[in-house]
Amino acid sequence: MMPQRILRGVRVLELGPLVALPLTGRYLAAMGAEVIKLETNRVLDDMNYIPGWQPGVGQPEYQALKRRITLDVRNPKAKPVLEKLFKISDVFITNFRRRVLRDWGFDFPQIREMNPNIIVLWQTGAGSQGPYGEYKTFGNLIQHLCGISPMTGPDGDDTPGTANNSYSDYHAGVFQPTAIIAALLRRRRTGKTAFMECSIFKSGAITVGPAVLDFQANGRFPPRMANRHRFAAPHNTYPCQGEDSWCTISAFTPEEWSGLIQAMGSPAWSQDSRFTTAADRVRNAEALDQLISQWTRGLTAVEVMQRLQQAGVPAGVVSKGQDLAESPQLQDREFYRDTHFYIPERDKPGSEWENGGQVKAWSVPIHFSETPCQFGPMHRVGEDNDYVYRELCKISPQEMEELNREGILS
Amino acid sequence: MATDRQESWRSITPGAWFIGGTSQPPAPPPPGAPATPTQQTPGTPQPVQAVSTNPTPLATDEDQLLSGFRVLDLTRELGVFCTKLLADLGAEVIRIEPPTGDPLRQRGPFFKDVPHPEHSLYFMYYNTGKRSITLDLEQPEGQALFKKLVARADVVVEGFAPGYMDRIGLGYEQLRSINPGIVMAAVSPFGQTGPYKDYKASDLVLMGMSGWMQITGEPEWPPTRQGNEQSHFPGAQYAALGIVAALYNRELASGEGQYIEVSAMEALLTYYTENHPAVAWLLSQTNVGRPGVRSRMTVPMGVFPCQDGWIALGVVSAGEWESLAQWMVEATGDDAILDDKYKGGTHARQAYYDEIIAYVIGFLAGLTRQELFTEGQKRNLAVLPVATVEDMLNDPHLAVGDFWIELDHPVVGKLKYPRGAFDTDIIHPPRKAAPLVGEDNEAIYCHELGLSATELGALRNEGLI
Repeated sequence: MMPQRILRGVRVLELGPLVALPLTGRYLAAMGAEVIKLETNRVLDDMNYIPGWQPGVGQPEYQALKRRITLDVRNPKAKPVLEKLFKISDVFITNFRRRVLRDWGFDFPQIREMNPNIIVLWQTGAGSQGPYGEYKTFGNLIQHLCGISPMTGPDGDDTPGTANNSYSDYHAGVFQPTAIIAALLRRRRTGKTAFMECSIFKSGAITVGPAVLDFQANGRFPPRMANRHRFAAPHNTYPCQGEDSWCTISAFTPEEWSGLIQAMGSPAWSQDSRFTTAADRVRNAEALDQLISQWTRGLTAVEVMQRLQQAGVPAGVVSKGQDLAESPQLQDREFYRDTHFYIPERDKPGSEWENGGQVKAWSVPIHFSETPCQFGPMHRVGEDNDYVYRELCKISPQEMEELNREGILS
Repeated sequence: MATDRQESWRSITPGAWFIGGTSQPPAPPPPGAPATPTQQTPGTPQPVQAVSTNPTPLATDEDQLLSGFRVLDLTRELGVFCTKLLADLGAEVIRIEPPTGDPLRQRGPFFKDVPHPEHSLYFMYYNTGKRSITLDLEQPEGQALFKKLVARADVVVEGFAPGYMDRIGLGYEQLRSINPGIVMAAVSPFGQTGPYKDYKASDLVLMGMSGWMQITGEPEWPPTRQGNEQSHFPGAQYAALGIVAALYNRELASGEGQYIEVSAMEALLTYYTENHPAVAWLLSQTNVGRPGVRSRMTVPMGVFPCQDGWIALGVVSAGEWESLAQWMVEATGDDAILDDKYKGGTHARQAYYDEIIAYVIGFLAGLTRQELFTEGQKRNLAVLPVATVEDMLNDPHLAVGDFWIELDHPVVGKLKYPRGAFDTDIIHPPRKAAPLVGEDNEAIYCHELGLSATELGALRNEGLI
């Protein structure tokens, strides 16, 4: 028997590019919702062109299993079609600014009029209320508004520790489907609908962590300690054999410290009085780290990890692409799956793209015992126009022909 | 003095108590004493009398998304944000602490830098809005009480080493036989299966294993972990998503619950898909690195020094570049940047990266963060100041949405906590600071499970709660 899908019978209309919003739809689709992604051939999502990659790679991760339709929402003649889409949907998600939505002829109250039961999730950059309401932001810059980069990096260097990703987008990308499903549950129980706004800025800001309480209670700015720890040593990255190859080692308990000593072959220095207690080791972390580095330099990062884990010490590889692509752990759990991607071709409608290839994409990392997440292929832009417009919206063939002739459905 | 914080997820012995580098369990509480940890140092305040004054469940506000659902919280570092999210959405979350106190209460930073179970700001951050009871899950009587709680709960979330719940007879199969509707979720470093399932981890180890450190920091730095312990978030967030989905499914599917498990490493890996190191390797045999503040994704894009700190700035479209160039000329009086060779798309400018960045740095050095932020946005440019925790607390935008919510705690007093990612009237801000150890023992054990005060005292004497 096929396993049941959690969101069977739920239809989601998705309007918006980039990362957090498409991911929201992808998670809902993986749980069985029918997600209709509304796009136009005229403006392709920037995520089709991730720098340094073959164009189109990465798209399966953001778009897998969605029904993809095209509509030129800027054209006033698109409005009746949009109205039909709102009427057949349980959930509407968008990340366009309200001003832009109004330019296209609809706003949240009107959507509610068209479909009183629809749940609306509006994703904004910083939150619509307040001075930054219409500010321009980018995911990988917004991390610097969230208090985290000044506490990342080594002491004596105030360069903001920068992650080369837009992690706030991914936080929002998981918060949003969580709230949407909770709202679906509430709607089922109480009949009440929901309007929710979620911002990328606040999604990042709530991950600032206890440092914000430390500042209020103790007046302390979070110390920059790179990979060291205020209360434990050793706790750092250590160089290993190979170019830019590193391992991590952290020992918190006496058992872990003695496990580390044994795994290193009980060197004489380990009995040094500088390293007796955790407090001693923290005080003398620099000397300790140098001594441990002498040992790790003769080994590969994987060897360090295996020897120390065997001795009960938390340690690992600082994974690079190859480590992840070949990770026995990820392979055992089928984290990456084979899938197809399409190369965007600007001179053709998306539904006619022919070129592409095979690539790996991650599966949704939630393992359900009864209702597993689905993994499946992505569709091309506009591939599902017939299904959605004819079968779901009941637009007649004649109307379809007319809309197509005027370029509305593209 | 430093306390040795128990930071890894290997703690299969609940309540293991590490202070000052030794692993000494605290003395059992004297008969009849409130179930508070006894570890004290000179100058620390007395343990607070942990007696609930509120025998009824904290919140059943019908307008909250998860009102009426009860969650039993057995998480550690990797799951504690999951149950906080569920509490934020309106669920009643009961944190179940070992009688010796929650290991997370041993983690700093501490209020006034004095280590004490009711001083852990770490614990407070992740446990707003929750209730607390104490219970020894390793004793048969404790397990029996836990099963009674499971019968009345909707969700159990645990963060022990894989296999531990099964070993103490509280695995999913057992809990399901008590309550078929129970949704059980586990968050662990590497997952419940696979060759690394028993590997020990800390934030540092996970940030390294997931490869996130490989893309964080300056190229000349070693791979660097984030100062906020980023590994606490993605896995916890996926678990919350899975739990809410399973509750929805239960509503649809004749009341059946299910088991959910999340690997923190896998969760972290999905959070930087635009770099996708595994695919970059498979496609081109290159390893993604650390560009640091000078990204080459577009020109310019990155973080640069300005007059009074650091400013983040990025330009993507040709229109944005024109706007920035015009502004730079106005500010510096130097129109060299208007040269035709710099015009056009970001790819065309890559060839002039060094010249352009030098020009941009000269421009930024003459202005303050606030000037750049305000004027940049007027010109429709993404210019954002690098904010410290202090800047965040004073941020005028966050003030408008009441992002910072003041909560009063009996020991540490009033502090501001973040509201959450959402602005909507159906997700309320946290309404209560973190609970005291065992604050709700009487409410749950006596008022709900019907134990008498004498029986409760006896359980305390036996060290069960």
